[in-house]
Amino acid sequence: MAKITINGELVKVKNGTTILNAAKGIGIDIPTLCFIKEINEIGFCRICVVEVEGEQDLISSCNTEVANGMVIYTDSDKVIESRTATLQLLASKHRFDCWRCPKDGMCEFYDLLKIYDVVFEEFGPGIGRNKETIIGTGISQDQSKCVLCKRCVAVCQNVITANVLKFRDDDGMNPIVSPTPGLSFDESGCIFCGQCVKTCPTGTLFETDHTKEVKELLKNKEKFTVAQVSKEAISALAEEFGYDLGTDINETFGKTMQALKLLGFDEVSSLDFGVDLHNFETGKELVKRIEEGNTLPIFTSTCPSFTRYLELYKPQLLENLSTVKTPHIIQGMMYKHNLLHHNHKNIAVVTIDGCTAKKYEVTREELKTNDAKDVDAVLTVRELAKMLKVKGINYRSLENIEFTNEITGTSPSVKSGSIVSTLNVVSELLDNKPIENIEFKVTRGKENIETVGQIREASILIAGNKLNVAICTGGAAFAEMFEKLEKKKYHLVEFMTCPGGCLNGGGMPIAPIIPMHEVIQKRNKALCSINEDLPMSNPTHNEFVKSIYTEKITPNLHTNYSQKEFTKE
Amino acid sequence: MTSKSQDVNVLFEKWILDADTKMAINDLFVNVKSYLESTHPEICGKCVPCRDGVVKLESLFELYINGTATLKTLKEIERLVLNLRASRCSVGLDIGKNMEVVLENNYNILYNPVKKY
Repeated sequence: MAKITINGELVKVKNGTTILNAAKGIGIDIPTLCFIKEINEIGFCRICVVEVEGEQDLISSCNTEVANGMVIYTDSDKVIESRTATLQLLASKHRFDCWRCPKDGMCEFYDLLKIYDVVFEEFGPGIGRNKETIIGTGISQDQSKCVLCKRCVAVCQNVITANVLKFRDDDGMNPIVSPTPGLSFDESGCIFCGQCVKTCPTGTLFETDHTKEVKELLKNKEKFTVAQVSKEAISALAEEFGYDLGTDINETFGKTMQALKLLGFDEVSSLDFGVDLHNFETGKELVKRIEEGNTLPIFTSTCPSFTRYLELYKPQLLENLSTVKTPHIIQGMMYKHNLLHHNHKNIAVVTIDGCTAKKYEVTREELKTNDAKDVDAVLTVRELAKMLKVKGINYRSLENIEFTNEITGTSPSVKSGSIVSTLNVVSELLDNKPIENIEFKVTRGKENIETVGQIREASILIAGNKLNVAICTGGAAFAEMFEKLEKKKYHLVEFMTCPGGCLNGGGMPIAPIIPMHEVIQKRNKALCSINEDLPMSNPTHNEFVKSIYTEKITPNLHTNYSQKEFTKE
Repeated sequence: MTSKSQDVNVLFEKWILDADTKMAINDLFVNVKSYLESTHPEICGKCVPCRDGVVKLESLFELYINGTATLKTLKEIERLVLNLRASRCSVGLDIGKNMEVVLENNYNILYNPVKKY
């Protein structure tokens, strides 16, 4: 134990604790900008500096451990002056067009400028460190807003393990953060998970804008516009309008659907049908592979970011990847080809989800049907919230209408999960009954933190076949999962690039600064999926899927994923 | 590092070691700016007070050279020099210490062009 004094208060803390954490323990939040716990503790920004008696210089609290007898001041004049000067310097190299910024009110840098009441005298707000905007189909980067905190680099490296974004300090006076210089995100091997967008304290990294396309579609009277929204997005939209994280989806489901109608969509539905059809087809594919002795395990193709990861970095495993298209593409295809008992011509489909990789996915040639895109645009939850605000739709005052149609179904709450759903299909096909119960054991990342990811495994007996299944979330867990595949025989593995899965997707609202596992837990609670009494998702019980499904549509549900090239540094 | 910047470094060592810190008025601003420029190759670009602060200091000394400096310019110089104490490594800390010596010993020279009365 070390005895230290913080702002005159005597505190006992464990040896090895950082000054930042010690202060937190007594209710003092030292401001930070570049710091992310366990991911980026590098002391670049110098906002968290504190004064320590006996030290000539100011010390960064995020990466300095306490020492017995330390006398620390977190708010002395010297400290406040330094923080203000540092913020002023950063502001002199930051382009301020806050009202147009994609960060939309969640900018940590702006908040700090406000707290420290930064004024510009000799040098005013800047025009940006670098004018370049690097484009990508899923995410883009406006370098004029970068404060060089390196958070995105740390996340890309330690959380996702893609190593696309790098801190380039060949010229120490003008460093930049970028993918391979001179190349777009697509060419540099980005998988568009969007975790960098979420971690960026300013609006430097942002999801590639699709709102303009959607506005055009909605204006075009000749188009029949359809919005298909994922469950996660339906629930998370409420967060953007001040609802608590974890607000029950039953309280907000009707509001979201009503809001989309008011926005001008001719038809609104959830993605349930697409998800069920996707899982049904994946289940069938698994049964076929087991019966024919083809490549196992099968990797589910739900996560477009993981699909791209395989194509770019592990092409040798592409044989394992299910050829079934992702749920929103399938549902979009069904809409566009009038397979859903509609009779509309000129249909435009917009997906709304908490995912940035889907923006890239809809541009893929191999996912087109008859040379036409099945989904025209993808909005993230944040983009949708912005569109609703422009339209003046007051989400909070909307009625939570009873909403149902064939595609959405009546109950918004089933215990979901692609794996469980697919296993139910396998069980129904081989055994004519659903699975009774399945217990997953966490074999990596019990605490579910970003830098570790999580692997959950289970075994289940279906019609005499013992199936080993696994769910791997977070890029940091991929390497271990790939190793496990070599040692043990698995049958079905679900990979999700974002740590914590889609509930923590790159296009989800930016949650206040609370640990990721709490965000996941609360969003899970909102979706009622932690309720043990809920029925397990079973696509074979979806009457609409049964009525639509024919062998004729099967070829349109599949595609071919192949190795993609990118420029290695 | 250019030979010119080496000269400036030598000059600085002389200032500190020999406490020979007085410079001719006309030379001071140009010499200090040259010194700051000479530190560029050492700056790693990681922390804000050093990376962005040094460039800002140069622009403020440029105002002195142009004869457009005001009292605010001097105040900003002081603030930024003190802020170099928050740097991450000895490069920024050393620049800060050197600049503190400059300020301390040449305050009259710096104050003269900007005083109001």
